[in-house]
Amino acid sequence: MEGLPAQILEIVDLGVVVLDTEFRVCYWNRWMAFHSGIAAEAITGTPIFESYPKLNTPEFLRGARMSLTFGSPAVFPQSLHHYLFPFKVVGTPNGMFDLMQQHCTSAPLREPDGEIGHLLITVQDVTERAISQQRLRELNIRDQLTGAYNRRYLDHRLPDECKRHDRHHRSLSVIMIDIDFFKKVNDQHGHEAGDKVLSQVAGKLMATVRKTDCLVRYGGEEFCCILPETPLENACVLADRFRTSVERLAIAAGSTELRVTISLGVAQLRPEDTHATLLKRADEGLYDAKQSGRNRVIART
Amino acid sequence: MSEAIISEIKLANAAELDLFLSEESQQRIMSADERDTLQEMMNIAFGRAAASLAEVISIFVSLSVPCVQLLKGEKLTVYLEQMVGPGPEISIVEERFYGKMEGSAFLVFPADAGGQLVPLFGDEETLYEGEAREEVERDALLTTGGILIGACVGKLAELLGDQVSYSPAKLVAKTQGKAIPAALCNPDAVAIVLKTDFSFREESVQGFLFLVTSQESIGWLKEALAGFLSQYEG
Amino acid sequence: MAKKLQTVLIVDDSPISRKMLKSCFPKEREFQFHEAGDGLQALNLYRELKPDLVTLDLTMPVMDGFTALAEIRAFDPEAMVIVCTADVQDKSLQEVTDKGAFMILAKPPSKGSVLEALTRVEESA
Repeated sequence: MEGLPAQILEIVDLGVVVLDTEFRVCYWNRWMAFHSGIAAEAITGTPIFESYPKLNTPEFLRGARMSLTFGSPAVFPQSLHHYLFPFKVVGTPNGMFDLMQQHCTSAPLREPDGEIGHLLITVQDVTERAISQQRLRELNIRDQLTGAYNRRYLDHRLPDECKRHDRHHRSLSVIMIDIDFFKKVNDQHGHEAGDKVLSQVAGKLMATVRKTDCLVRYGGEEFCCILPETPLENACVLADRFRTSVERLAIAAGSTELRVTISLGVAQLRPEDTHATLLKRADEGLYDAKQSGRNRVIART
Repeated sequence: MSEAIISEIKLANAAELDLFLSEESQQRIMSADERDTLQEMMNIAFGRAAASLAEVISIFVSLSVPCVQLLKGEKLTVYLEQMVGPGPEISIVEERFYGKMEGSAFLVFPADAGGQLVPLFGDEETLYEGEAREEVERDALLTTGGILIGACVGKLAELLGDQVSYSPAKLVAKTQGKAIPAALCNPDAVAIVLKTDFSFREESVQGFLFLVTSQESIGWLKEALAGFLSQYEG
Repeated sequence: MAKKLQTVLIVDDSPISRKMLKSCFPKEREFQFHEAGDGLQALNLYRELKPDLVTLDLTMPVMDGFTALAEIRAFDPEAMVIVCTADVQDKSLQEVTDKGAFMILAKPPSKGSVLEALTRVEESA
């Protein structure tokens, strides 16, 4: 490549790679050389999979074949692929991604006779966009005080989970949680102490759940926990672990040390359930737990 | 939406609503023979697209006879509403194509199709990490839409002796109406409507595809059809 | 001695498609063509005419090609059927082979592909 286009390709803030139909590198611009640490001279002529064996996946090949056999462009969005080329993040660590998040595309390049002879790949660094999107998402779905998910998030997520579990015939359970005598804490120790109790209890619960579980502040002093792939029996074990860990929790509020307990109701998704009937059953369990003396777990089957 | 979207009954309704051009004006734009030929070529193109798609993505496309109808540009939105019917939410993926044949391809899916397509891109649990569910589903739909449109339009163009390039696929609507870019709704635009069913694994994701081309492309299209047919003359 | 084909039943719902296919048969031989626009018509005509060869499309109204193929082969296990289709997905090809189609001719047909098919049919007899 020569002249103005060649200069442009070398200075744009975009990775540009050209492969032949055997996936050998024909062009590797300066951006690619800089981020990969592999010079154009070193990689040109070699199969791309030699340097990037992990690129040899059905997901990449699908897009590449789209361009090579159908002559149509393909996109490798960050949300589905994260990246095609594992490059280190530029600048200071961001605490979210170790590797550069990329938006990549592929497109066919035709010979003068119209045959598709090469594949063009472009690589765009979208790490910053991905981080701010992630932060925005977090803001939208988290409860400010406790850091648990908010009610709006539950309204979206639970119906989805119900549908997905029903489709794949897997077990899904939920736990409804309420802090016992919370009104008393507020009345006797003030709202600041109340907030402290809420955030410390939520913190304890979040430290106890598994990575796939999802703790939601349902409202006031009530929480809800969605447990994917979990039958009732296991949900009850987890619920009881919640109960004991909160019972043991000492919450410092000013000069005093507060102790609270929680009541819990557990239910498992049935085929005839909607997300609303599932929640209602767990809530009935919670009601029973309150009625029968609090600080206990009651499962509704 | 599944069956309703592509039912013949809807097509009959569409005819009653005076959506299609009269036979007389259709005849002026394209003869019945030309329309039959185009239909046959779409049939062939989509057959090839479906076969090659197997190498790219694990989707088996069940083929229905494509329907070729000429539609007034201004009636496109009404037509779309008719096709989909009231109620169900839909997602529409649009990809513009440029070549001697120019226009837009629209792929109409049920609104929840994105979620069902996600497993094609890897492990669901992993993809849904980070709570980017909406984005993941949108991109799964866009990517699959781009693949289906690219395959169908690409093979049709190839058969007609054209090479087209594309603009990136975009999601133009998540509800009905307002899906058709204003430029295509002008009275001069002509839509070529065709439908095809997709099925995905055991669960069936169905949708339909339609192409809208400009009046200018039709001139070229007629030449290409004549060229194709001339191999079979005499 | 290879059998010479004479009567051919062309089954396709598209008149253009039937015309295209007919034009691909060698001109120097005198074939007798009959045409049907759907599977049911094809079945009735087959019973009546017992043609030497049937070319069958798959996607058709009233009765599709898959069903017509099975019905024709049930009526006459010796029936010589070539499936002429645009649906060249492996799954569909497997199905028609299982149902007893002699071979598959991918659309669009050409003089070359038709001649090759005729030769294979006549040599098999």
